[in-house]
Amino acid sequence: MKIFSSGLYETVVWGSAAMAGVVVVIFLLLVLRRYLAERQVDANKRIDAAITRSYLRRVAGHRPETDDAGWTDERRLAAVSQIQALLRGGERDRLMQIAELDGLLAATVRRSRRWRRSERVSAIRLLQRFGSELCIARLRELMARDRSPRVRVEAAFALAAAHALPPPRETMRILRMTDRAPSRLDSALLRASVPDYREQFVLLLEDDLPPVWRAQLIDALGWSGDVAVMPALEKAAGDEDPEVRGAALRASAKLGHPGGREWIMAALRDPDANVRVQAVKASEALGLRDAVPQIRDLREDSQLWVRLRAEQALEALDPGYDTTARPPLARNPAPDLSNCA
Amino acid sequence: MSWSVVQDMAGDAIVAVAFFCFIVVFLRNMIGLAQLLIAAWVFATRIEPSESARELWQRYADLALPITMIAPAYNEELSIVESVKALLALEYPEHEVIVVNDGSKDDTVGRLIAAFDMYPCERTQVAQLQQTQIRQTYASRRFPNLLVVDKENGRKADAANAGLGFARTPLVCVIDADSIIEPDGLLRAAEPFMHDNGRLVAVGGAIRVANGCTVKGGSLQKIDVAKALVPRFQVVEYLRAFLTARVANAQTGTLMLISGAFGLFRRSTLVEIGGYRHDTVGEDLELVVHLHRHLREQKRDYRFAFIPDIVCWTEAPAALKGLDNQRARWQQGSLETLVRHRGMMFNPRYGRIGLLAMPHILLEDVLGPPAELLGYLVLPAAALLGLLDPMMAVAFFFVSIVFGTGLSVGTLALEEQQLRRTPSARSLIRIGWAALLENFGYRQINLWYRIQGVRRFLKKDGTWAAVPRLGFGAD
Repeated sequence: MKIFSSGLYETVVWGSAAMAGVVVVIFLLLVLRRYLAERQVDANKRIDAAITRSYLRRVAGHRPETDDAGWTDERRLAAVSQIQALLRGGERDRLMQIAELDGLLAATVRRSRRWRRSERVSAIRLLQRFGSELCIARLRELMARDRSPRVRVEAAFALAAAHALPPPRETMRILRMTDRAPSRLDSALLRASVPDYREQFVLLLEDDLPPVWRAQLIDALGWSGDVAVMPALEKAAGDEDPEVRGAALRASAKLGHPGGREWIMAALRDPDANVRVQAVKASEALGLRDAVPQIRDLREDSQLWVRLRAEQALEALDPGYDTTARPPLARNPAPDLSNCA
Repeated sequence: MSWSVVQDMAGDAIVAVAFFCFIVVFLRNMIGLAQLLIAAWVFATRIEPSESARELWQRYADLALPITMIAPAYNEELSIVESVKALLALEYPEHEVIVVNDGSKDDTVGRLIAAFDMYPCERTQVAQLQQTQIRQTYASRRFPNLLVVDKENGRKADAANAGLGFARTPLVCVIDADSIIEPDGLLRAAEPFMHDNGRLVAVGGAIRVANGCTVKGGSLQKIDVAKALVPRFQVVEYLRAFLTARVANAQTGTLMLISGAFGLFRRSTLVEIGGYRHDTVGEDLELVVHLHRHLREQKRDYRFAFIPDIVCWTEAPAALKGLDNQRARWQQGSLETLVRHRGMMFNPRYGRIGLLAMPHILLEDVLGPPAELLGYLVLPAAALLGLLDPMMAVAFFFVSIVFGTGLSVGTLALEEQQLRRTPSARSLIRIGWAALLENFGYRQINLWYRIQGVRRFLKKDGTWAAVPRLGFGAD
C-alpha cells in the first residue's frame, strides 16, 4: 500500500543523507582544525612569547624583535591584554600608545562596529583596557547609540570602570532606566557613578521618579563615601515608601557614620517588616549598642525574618547574649523577606 | 466474517501502525533539527562569559545574591568530606552549604562532624517542607557557612525540601552531593540574576559526564573521555540534551527540565509551591512543570534561563546495569508528571507551555519510545509482506538512524565550535564514533529501558534503586 508517493520517501532518504553528510563534513573539518592547532601548540607558544617579549622591550625603550612572522593582530591584542594587566602607570600608558601605533586600537574600533553584538561586547572589553580618549569616545558612542540594550549596558560598565560615565541623569535617560524595573547591574552602575556625581544624585532625588528608582539612588548614595549625604538619607528615611526608607538604612550602614543613630533606631519600630530588618542590619553594622533593648524586643516580632535578623544582630552586638535562652522563632510562616535578610 | 476480511483488517492495522511510527519518528527528528538550529543561533549571537570568573567577581561581588547550596547525601561516607570541601571552596561572594544527611546507613554524618569540627546547634527551620523528622542540625566551628541537617530517610526530594526549609538566602542551588561543580560555576549560573529585573525564577546549567576525567579532592583535575562505550554514548546524549534541547527550549520559553544535579532557584518561589513532590521518581521535571503551572495560574510574568556553559560534572552509569534503572526511572517520572499535570496539555490558558512544551513531552516521552521501537519491527515486516512501499521502510531507517546521527554529530560540531571543552582531537573522534555507534544497539536498548519505565508507571511501582557508581577515576 502506498500512503505517500515513493517520491516523498526518496526525498526523505536523500534529505536525511544530505543533512547527515553535511554535518559530518563540518565536524571532520573542526576535528582537523583542532588537530592542526594541537600540532601548532609549541610554535604558537613561541610566537606568543616573542610578541610579549617584543612589547616589553619596546615599553622599556629597547629594540623590538625583528622576526614578526605569524604575528596576527589577534595575537598581538591578546599579548597586550595580558601585559597591560601586569603594568602600572607610565609603563602601562606607553604600552597602550605602542599598541595604538601598531593599529591594534583601530582593529578593535572596527570590531566594535560589527553586526554581531557578541563581537561588539568583546570589543568593548578591549576598549576598556586601552582606556585612551579615543576609546572613551567610542564607548560613549556605543552607550548612547548602539541598537542592543545589552551592548549599551556593557559600554556603560566599561565607562564606569574608567570613571568616565556621563552624569547620572544622562545615564538613566540613555539606558532608559526608568522605563523598566531596576536590575542589579543598574544598581552597580549607579553605585559606580556616585563618587563622581554626588551632588547630581541629590538633585535627581528632587525629580518625580518612581519610588523603586528613588530607592536605587538612595542606595547608591551609601557608596559615595561622603557623610555630606546624611541629610538626604535622613529625609529619605522619613519617606512614605518603605522601599525608599529601607534604602536609606542600607546606605547609612554602608557609609558607616553614626550620625543617623536616631532615625535608625526609630526605624526599628517601622510598620514595614522589610524596613525593620534593614534597621536591625544597620544597627549591627554601626555597632549601635543603644539599640540592643529594642532589638531584644524584636525577637518577639510578628514576622519571622525580623526575628531571625534580630537574633543574628544580638549575637554580634551583645556579647552576653545567651543564644540557647532565646524564645521560639518558628511561630508563623512569614512573608518572604529573604531578599533583604 | 471471512478470513480475507480479517486479513485485510490486519493488513490495514499494520499499515496504520507503520504510518503512525513513521510520523512520530519524523516529527521528533524535525523538532530535533529545529532545536539544533535554534541552539546554533543562540550560540552564534550570545555574549560569551567574561574571560575569567575573576572579572565577574570584581564587577558584581557586592550585588551577587547570596546562595544556599543544598546537597542531599545518602550513604556518601567515602566521598562526602571531599565533596563538601569543594562546595565550600566555590568562588562566590556569599554562599552557604547545607548538607542534608537523608538517614544514611553509613557514617556520613560522623565523617562530616570529624572533618569540619561540627557541634549540635539549634537552627530555626524557616519553612517545614519535608515529611520526615529532623534529628539534629550541626554547625561548624571552622566554617560558619556550613550546616549539616541529619534527618530520617525520605529520598532525595524530601532531603532537598528539608534543606530548602533551612535556607535563608534569596537563591538556592539544589545539587547532588557527588556532583562536581566548576569552581566558577556558581558565579556563572548566578549571572542571569544580575541582568534580571524580577522575572527570573530559575537557572539551569549544562552538565557533563565526568567518567574518564581525573578527580582529586572533589574537584576536576583533568578532562578526558571514558574508554568504555556506555559512558561515551552518554556523553553524546548529555551534549544533545544540554547543548541543543535545553538551549533551544530556554530560548523559546519552553524549558521544562532543570536537572536535579544542578539547578539554581528563587527560594521564595520554591517555598510557595511546597518544594519538591515526594510521590514521584522524577521530582526535577515535576518541579519545573509545577512552577510553570503555578506561575501561569497566578498570571505572573516570569522566565527560566539556561546557561550553556558547563557548571557541573556528574558520574554516569558505567555499564548497562544501572543505566536500565536510571532510564526507566526517568521515563516513569515523565509519565507521572504528564498525568499529574494533564490539565495543562493543549490548554491555551498555559500559553506555550500548554500548547507546545507539554505536547512535546508527550511526543518525546510517551509516543516516541514505543513508536520508534515498534517501527524497527513493523516497517520492515510490512514491506516484506508487500503491505507497504519498501521505500517507506528505507525512509524510516534513514530518518531514525542517519538523520539521528546527523543531529548528534551536529551537536558535537556545535560544542567544538563554541565551547571547546573536549580535551583533544583524538577525544573528539572518539565521541564522534560513539555518536555513530549509538544508533546500532545502544539506542534501541535505551528504548527498551524506557518501555520498562512505562511498565513501572502502569504498575505504580514506587521503588527507587540507586544508580551504581564506580567512583570518579574508575573507567
